[in-house]
Amino acid sequence: MSPVKALVLTGYGLNCDYETDYALKLAGAVSHRVHINELISDQGSNPHLDLSTFHILVFGGGFAWADDHGAGVVLASKIRFNIGEQVNRFIQDGKLVIGICNGFQSLVNLGLLPGFEENYQERRVALTYNDSGNFINTWVNLKINPKTPCIFTKDISHIELPVRHGEGKFYASTEDIKSLFENNQVVAQYANADGDRANGKWPENPNGSLEDIAGICDPTGRIFGLMPHPEAFNHFTNHPNWTEKKRILEKEGKSIKNQEGDGIRIFRNAVEYIRERYKA
Amino acid sequence: MPARLEIGLKRDLADAEGANIRRKAKDYFNIDTEDIRIIRVLTIDAALDTAQLERIRTVIFTNPVTEESSFSPMAKAFDWLIWVGFRPGVRDTAGSTAVEAIEDLLKTKFGPDEAVYTSKLYVINGKLSRDQAQNIAREILANDIIQQWRVHSIHEWDPKEGIGFIVPKVVLDHEPRADTISIKSDKELKEISSQRSLALHNSDIPIIRQYFLREEIQKERKKHGLSLPTDVELEYISQARSDHCNHNTFRGLFKYHDLETGHKETVDNLFKTCIEAPTLQIKEKKDWVISVLWDNAGVARFQDDTYYTITGETHNSPSNMEAYGGAITGIVGIYRDPMGTGKGSKLIMGLYGYCVGPRDYDGDLKPHLHPRRLLDGVIEGIRDGGNKSGIPTPYGLLLFDESFLGKCLVFVTALGIMPSRIGNESSHLKTTSPGDLIIMSGGRVGKDGIHGVTAASETYGASTPAGHVQIGDPYTQKKMHDFLMEAREEGLITFITDNGGGGLSSSIGESARFSNGCQVDLHKVPLKYDGLNQWEIWVSESQERMTIAVKPENLDRFMQLSEKHAVESTVIGQYNDSGYLRLDYKGETCALIRMDFLESDFPQWEFDAEWTPAELRGLREPVLSEPHDYGLLLKTLLSRPNVCSRNWIARQYDHEVQGGSVIKPLVGKRRDMVSDAAVIRPILGSEKGIAVAQAINPVYSRIDTYHMTAVIIDEAVRKILAVGGDPEHLGGVDNFCWPSVQYDPAQNPDGKYKAAQLVRANWALRDYCLAYRIPLLSGKDSMYIDGNLEGPFGERRKVSGLPSLLFTVSSVIEDITKCITMEAKRPEDLVYVLGETRDELGGSEYYQMMGHVGLHVPKVDAKDLWPLYLCLHQAIQEGLVSSAHAVTRGGLGVHLALIAMGGELGMDIRLGDAPSGNGLSDSRILFSESAGRFLVTVAPEKQKAFEKVFSDMNIKQIGVVTESPILRVQGSQGALIIEAEVFQLKDSWNRPFGGLI
Repeated sequence: MSPVKALVLTGYGLNCDYETDYALKLAGAVSHRVHINELISDQGSNPHLDLSTFHILVFGGGFAWADDHGAGVVLASKIRFNIGEQVNRFIQDGKLVIGICNGFQSLVNLGLLPGFEENYQERRVALTYNDSGNFINTWVNLKINPKTPCIFTKDISHIELPVRHGEGKFYASTEDIKSLFENNQVVAQYANADGDRANGKWPENPNGSLEDIAGICDPTGRIFGLMPHPEAFNHFTNHPNWTEKKRILEKEGKSIKNQEGDGIRIFRNAVEYIRERYKA
Repeated sequence: MPARLEIGLKRDLADAEGANIRRKAKDYFNIDTEDIRIIRVLTIDAALDTAQLERIRTVIFTNPVTEESSFSPMAKAFDWLIWVGFRPGVRDTAGSTAVEAIEDLLKTKFGPDEAVYTSKLYVINGKLSRDQAQNIAREILANDIIQQWRVHSIHEWDPKEGIGFIVPKVVLDHEPRADTISIKSDKELKEISSQRSLALHNSDIPIIRQYFLREEIQKERKKHGLSLPTDVELEYISQARSDHCNHNTFRGLFKYHDLETGHKETVDNLFKTCIEAPTLQIKEKKDWVISVLWDNAGVARFQDDTYYTITGETHNSPSNMEAYGGAITGIVGIYRDPMGTGKGSKLIMGLYGYCVGPRDYDGDLKPHLHPRRLLDGVIEGIRDGGNKSGIPTPYGLLLFDESFLGKCLVFVTALGIMPSRIGNESSHLKTTSPGDLIIMSGGRVGKDGIHGVTAASETYGASTPAGHVQIGDPYTQKKMHDFLMEAREEGLITFITDNGGGGLSSSIGESARFSNGCQVDLHKVPLKYDGLNQWEIWVSESQERMTIAVKPENLDRFMQLSEKHAVESTVIGQYNDSGYLRLDYKGETCALIRMDFLESDFPQWEFDAEWTPAELRGLREPVLSEPHDYGLLLKTLLSRPNVCSRNWIARQYDHEVQGGSVIKPLVGKRRDMVSDAAVIRPILGSEKGIAVAQAINPVYSRIDTYHMTAVIIDEAVRKILAVGGDPEHLGGVDNFCWPSVQYDPAQNPDGKYKAAQLVRANWALRDYCLAYRIPLLSGKDSMYIDGNLEGPFGERRKVSGLPSLLFTVSSVIEDITKCITMEAKRPEDLVYVLGETRDELGGSEYYQMMGHVGLHVPKVDAKDLWPLYLCLHQAIQEGLVSSAHAVTRGGLGVHLALIAMGGELGMDIRLGDAPSGNGLSDSRILFSESAGRFLVTVAPEKQKAFEKVFSDMNIKQIGVVTESPILRVQGSQGALIIEAEVFQLKDSWNRPFGGLI
């Protein structure tokens, strides 16, 4: 069985690379943190950094280029004008791309999302300033669209994850939002604790996203972007109410030692998809 | 001809930033506006053609979904328009990233004179006067020290020209030079020192003169073409001898005199006797203490193959001047300390502490910034500095007190982590050797931070660079951090330290002590703009720079990594063993100082310290009867600014980045209660954790700083134990903030008393660190927290901040899955009080509410308390405790309420059962702030085992947790004195700042 290889971008102010790398490893991938400059300059010259040898490409969280000129804008242009071709081929090859928080912002600026009719060049949706006008770190409940083709959310109906951003308000034209729903490209929506949609209510919907949209995928379901951070729920103790939950588990005679967090499921889905597809 | 690109949100999108400004205009100045929208401006000062400009406009800088843009003025129908841009020389990060993006897209390179400058236009609708518009510009939008602004009304607006083309390029038409300084007499040098803002201490002046007059020194200097001291040299000596760098106060001689008992005592060096001596003594017994008292941060063992580093400091004066810039520079600055500890540690956590005047202050005095604005700015500064660094900020404190109107306190604390060995070498050791190259990495050098506060009074011209307050740049530093960690992993770093106070003069001056000499070519130092004098290059405090020693054979690889991370690194000199620090500029020597000069016998500072005990100062216990309405009293206490919810701060801080969050800043069922301590899992594959907690309460200083210090140390210890911290591993960081202790009959008439307060605080620090076996891993002092504020008649009134100690405790947690949080978990759990409640309401929140200070300040009997702490730890480790919480400000009453609110459960409490001194009234049991106490809840099935752990200890069960969310408290006479809905209590607690986001 050859390994499922993941590449996590680093550098220029990106900052969730270690935990994203860790989450992918937990999920069974062989993951590498790779500096944007290495990826760009060594393409072709260094076989270890040849994008085509990887299966999962991760645009992680952070503040790439300080988020000046709009979150993800400069990273997107850096990628497009240096290795745009390689990234396109990666997608054409049927591989997986996930963008988390700043990475989601980069994917929409690259045009990889929403990728209507598999046009991966066009900026059609945006993540703009939170309605509150401020950065927020809070845990959200997400409702997952059961009909979405998204590879990453297979068999997940609800999940709790943290958000940490100042520019996470999902915005697009009414028609485009309609198309997103019609194509089941809306993957995750902010919800309340009961699992019902937040209907724009703060802080359940922490940023004012239209239609409570927290994450979307391309029509193939192989490119996924979301504002919440699955890699930050890599262990049971990441959950804000774990000390309370622990007592319930203990009553059932269960230990919480080495219990992974729900966020890992998203990465495991990706790894399993690749395994299945490439019989890796 | 420059081009000006304007970019704004589409009309149908709400402008959240504009809405924030509207809110501030209303809150701060009662100015009503109808609408404020923002246009971002890029002034592109480069030779690009129209097609190129159009390309960058559409492809990079305009989001077609949300934005519209134009190279002609976009603002049309408005009442007022305010332009705000940087002053020349101020770091414009967004301008630099714009250049990067443009170069990438167009595959061109900007020339040395080409640049992009960012600025903003605020398009205002509303019936404002010009004064009001000016006010918004000056007080909300622009920061005078680093920014310039212009206000246009619609009537004077040229819709074709717009704001024109404003290019804030620095032009210093100046040939750099080193001046010599005459030292004919002490008097003359003293005058020059004051003219040049050298701030040389009077008693140092003769020593400095004697040095330069020494025959062998003269002879050596002649060889290098030097005779009289140069300004470079005197600036260097001034920096090295400053209180900031040298801690002259803490190393001073204090003549202590107790005016009540007549007892006299000379205390020679507080640092040596109260910090160094006890720490070294404890280090003998604690093998986890790895490196203390010399490096940028302390080093302690996390596990065999991993160390953690910790340090804390303040950034008070700059934050007081410019809240946002001061705070962001503070947090980004403290992050360089762990980075520059040992061979470099990776940042894992930051903490904050703010002491400010009341947020709604409306008294007579005019502080430089109103506390509300000051606090907003400080909060935002730490937010941007921490979040953009990718370092979690999971803990912090906020305290309001009028004494901080004079100067606010901004504490920043940072932790890092590093492998215990790098190759074959210990990571915590570092040295420089002859032949090692001196490398400066990170940002460039400008006139920033030169001469600190004195520069603030200078006037600014159109092309003169902004001076002393800086804006920390987390982006540049994050890149440098990633680079340095990789270089460290490859074993390329021999020595590393940060450029903070004193800049290169301090980082190179101190690192050259190891090799015993160095030579630096100042002209090789990369500058932001030409024209800096040699001394300015040497002492500039431009941020985001580290000084690194690298072996020549490692240089190529080091530079390769630097390039990969897009970080600028430059070899600027070499260490040697010449015994001299030599600085050259284009081949000419401009400084030559013997390495041992700064270690010579400079006279010790001396202070008279006169202690007047509280009673002699007229403090008494107040005359207060029992209240009739305890419930209302409790609710009112819960709404006090120093007790109520301040959650809006913690929520803006990313406390989960790096993925290891275990105990968050906000806990409880609704995640809205303040945790006693924060816990993180710094190595993701391991279930070991690091815990930190902090405490501050300067109000007790009004009675006795000895007990203030004791209570603070005890409080921080209890908080960390409450989440599961290890009592055998308690590392301390002391951050003193004190008003000036130098007596002056006119300017500081109570200086002797303040000096005695400092001595007493240090005595308590020594005593309680020894008692709890806390080594002081790191610490810092900030000695001048005074301000002279303008009153209503044009007079100036001196306001001194209360003597303050922020104490940080760190601990290692063997198994994070055993950690607990403070909120009540289940109905029927039993509620226990650990520790005795005594008649100790002096300085309490309750007395403050009644308008009193009181006399009976809480006292800490460490010997008595320690066994109790050990038992609590054992009980937590054995899984017997559902929740634990340290009882602090507000006493049992407030903290019972918080625990109930956290779990959204009720409690039935019998107050008379609480362990307490004889005959204490109900209000005293409820609101005494006696130290050493915890509130703990225990599941009924664990009662026996729990009580067994505590046999013979002073603990009592005082009630149970109930399903119905009502807090019921029975007084000691049996009557029900409080019956309050927990949601109502929470409302009271949330109300004061509940509307803030």
